[in-house]
Amino acid sequence: MSFLDSLAAGLSLVGNIESFLALFIGVAVGVIGGAIPGMSATMAVALTLPFTFAMQPITGILLLLGVYKGGIFGGSIPAILIKTPGTPASSATILDGYPMAEKGEAGRALGMALWASCTADVISNLSLILFAGWLASFALSFGPPEFFTLILFSLTIIAGVSGDSLLRGALSALLGLLLATIGLDLVYGTNRFTFGDPNMMGGLNFIAVLIGLFAIPEILAMVWHPTAHVGKARSLGKNWVSFADYRRSFKSIVRGSFIGVFLGSIPGIGAAPSAFLSYSEARRTSKNKENFGKGEIEGVAASEAGNNGVAGATLIPLLALGVPGDVITAIIIGAFMIHGLQPGPMMFILNVDIIYGLFIGLIVSSAFLFLIGSVAIRGFKYVADIPKRILIPAVLVLCIYGVFAVNNNIFDVGVMFVMGWVGYLMVRYHIPAAPFLIAFILGPLLEDNFRQSMLMSGSDPLILVRGPITWFFWSLTVLTVVAIIRAGVRAVKGGALTSGNLEN
Amino acid sequence: MSMKTMSAVCALSLGLAGAAFAEYPERPINMVIPYGAGGATDISARTIAEPLGAAVGKPLVMANVTGAGGATGSVAVQNAKEDGYTMLFARVGSHSVNPAMKATLPYGLDDFRFVTVYEINPVACAVSPSSGITSMDDLVAKVNEGGVTYSSSGVGSLLHLAAVMVLKEFGVEEPLTQTTHIPQKGGGAAATAVLNGTATFLCTNSSAISGFVANKQLVPLMVTTAEPVAGFDVPTAADLGKPALHQLVGWTGIAGPDGLPDDVADKWGAWMATATKDEGFLSKMTERGSVIELMSPEDANAFIERQYNTFRKLVDELGMRIEG
Repeated sequence: MSFLDSLAAGLSLVGNIESFLALFIGVAVGVIGGAIPGMSATMAVALTLPFTFAMQPITGILLLLGVYKGGIFGGSIPAILIKTPGTPASSATILDGYPMAEKGEAGRALGMALWASCTADVISNLSLILFAGWLASFALSFGPPEFFTLILFSLTIIAGVSGDSLLRGALSALLGLLLATIGLDLVYGTNRFTFGDPNMMGGLNFIAVLIGLFAIPEILAMVWHPTAHVGKARSLGKNWVSFADYRRSFKSIVRGSFIGVFLGSIPGIGAAPSAFLSYSEARRTSKNKENFGKGEIEGVAASEAGNNGVAGATLIPLLALGVPGDVITAIIIGAFMIHGLQPGPMMFILNVDIIYGLFIGLIVSSAFLFLIGSVAIRGFKYVADIPKRILIPAVLVLCIYGVFAVNNNIFDVGVMFVMGWVGYLMVRYHIPAAPFLIAFILGPLLEDNFRQSMLMSGSDPLILVRGPITWFFWSLTVLTVVAIIRAGVRAVKGGALTSGNLEN
Repeated sequence: MSMKTMSAVCALSLGLAGAAFAEYPERPINMVIPYGAGGATDISARTIAEPLGAAVGKPLVMANVTGAGGATGSVAVQNAKEDGYTMLFARVGSHSVNPAMKATLPYGLDDFRFVTVYEINPVACAVSPSSGITSMDDLVAKVNEGGVTYSSSGVGSLLHLAAVMVLKEFGVEEPLTQTTHIPQKGGGAAATAVLNGTATFLCTNSSAISGFVANKQLVPLMVTTAEPVAGFDVPTAADLGKPALHQLVGWTGIAGPDGLPDDVADKWGAWMATATKDEGFLSKMTERGSVIELMSPEDANAFIERQYNTFRKLVDELGMRIEG
């Protein structure tokens, strides 16, 4: 079958009102689901899954993909407006999005988030369509040793999001690594730091930790100083993202999109590390380096491009290999199986109409995302105008509901509040929360892949340098660490000079 | 989910306001799925939920409570009231492999009363085509050479035990020292590990790898059932003269807390008899490679007990029990 025949077959499959309606509804549901704190994109997809049982396969899958894409963007809305990531992938958006909202630039930040998301979405979808086969075989060359070096390199992001003090960032990261060890040991299956409580056997719930760390400290601060915000106008302002902003951030957006495509095509990493990596790369290369973390629009653009770049690319291992890349694609693969479809190389031969139907649907989904996103921003941006004394309690209620609903477990709500106090203390002592989060996500991956590598080689460390991919990441890591140390030394020297001047 | 929970709470309070001793069930029943959305247990549970809900006559509120290889959700039901309004979709991993392998598990088989087992999943072993292995004999020969590894979805999972049990049956004296276990997080990752060469082989539910087998990404070596499995053109355990391996199958069942009253258990038996006759259910499940085999509450308890004892014996023999 020629390319045009395949395209026509795909078009005949999706060229009906139900498919596009499903996609449209999916994106809308996703944006709203993602925008509700605690109800992550993962949960929105999981809740939509049962509705697809009775649908045509392609309609159901398009609905789920719509929810997924909408959810990843929707998560940025509360991240910017109320400092609560709606979905883990949008944690990096908080770093600059929330300071922008504080400055009365919520509309501009939201607009940039949407433009960056849609651009990244298009790049990601095109990569899926054009390079699926190539990227999939590349992804299969990632065994535990390659993963280990990639994650090790990713940990250097911590330096990029530590703010003023690398030491405080490292402290935060250590705390994250420590808490990530709770749960069952991967290799021996023994309990670690569970204190005999079955609730701890699964480790701390990620959403509960996330919400606790970011949203709850705001609420506690409000309780401490109920009137601290009075007088600080947080009006939305008239400003909207301008084309000049977009052009200025374009390089970061494209770079972020490709980071997303790259990390998305490798099973097992997910969108949050990609957003952080994209953000730290943007910061590293930006002229306004010191403005990052204080409301730099390029930071919002980079992190949103990083997480949406993953969305299309995670379908590469899913469709080309039949391997789910993260929790969300694991649910979507379930939808394929329910309809008796088996993703993998054969699907490109047996069900080529479905593959091309999906491709057409994905292209259209970017347009829908832009459309629905614009409407959603217009609606949600008024949240910034709601007085804090009303907004904050409402956020608290949503957080409790959301965290409970993730696993129907009240223990998670407790975890959220405890982490809230930890987060509050961290804010009081100027310890940044982002390194904690990165370490919490990457720590277990680092440990698991290291131990799997050691099992593979019979504890021979040489396996960690077994091929070009590992060499590549080792050298990247070394280069980055050297750069960080040099910057640190320079800062200390500079600091010594100024303090010396003060003494004289 | 919160909407469903809310409606459940509303219905619950309404139910309490009405006749307190009316016939079971007078309100929606909470069904706990101890594994994540889109997984084998989840799909199976949600497929049976449709005809089952019709048979019960009251809504079934499905909730995924995940974590610790199914232990978190199982504990939630273990500690629930024994009134039949909180039931569990129990699975081979959470209710026969885990109890057999883990000394620290906060529950045992005695903490549950099974009302049915309705689905059996054959177990298949497979390798990657690049390994050059095409039969169990090849695999065993490779094991004796050394350096063979196998992947699983985690320590104490069915996949972990299955690989060891199969090797042992095929005459490998010390499967724990002659091969290396490379645990992964989840079944998808376990299959990927064989695909990308991290591990040599895996033994898992046939439905989990039927896609890879159809796509020729994995080469199947055997299935553990007596009957052949569609899509798997390989010898069965019976063909290979290893009838002991018939015990090694996956299953899904429904259980309540230990003190579940007899009349409730009987009701579930009757409902399941109706639900599993549903045409749509049967065709969907068999399409995915499951064998629908309805067991009465008594049969289900005996079946699980037998499997548990087989696994426990093997675990004790090899010293695989996890104490820490």
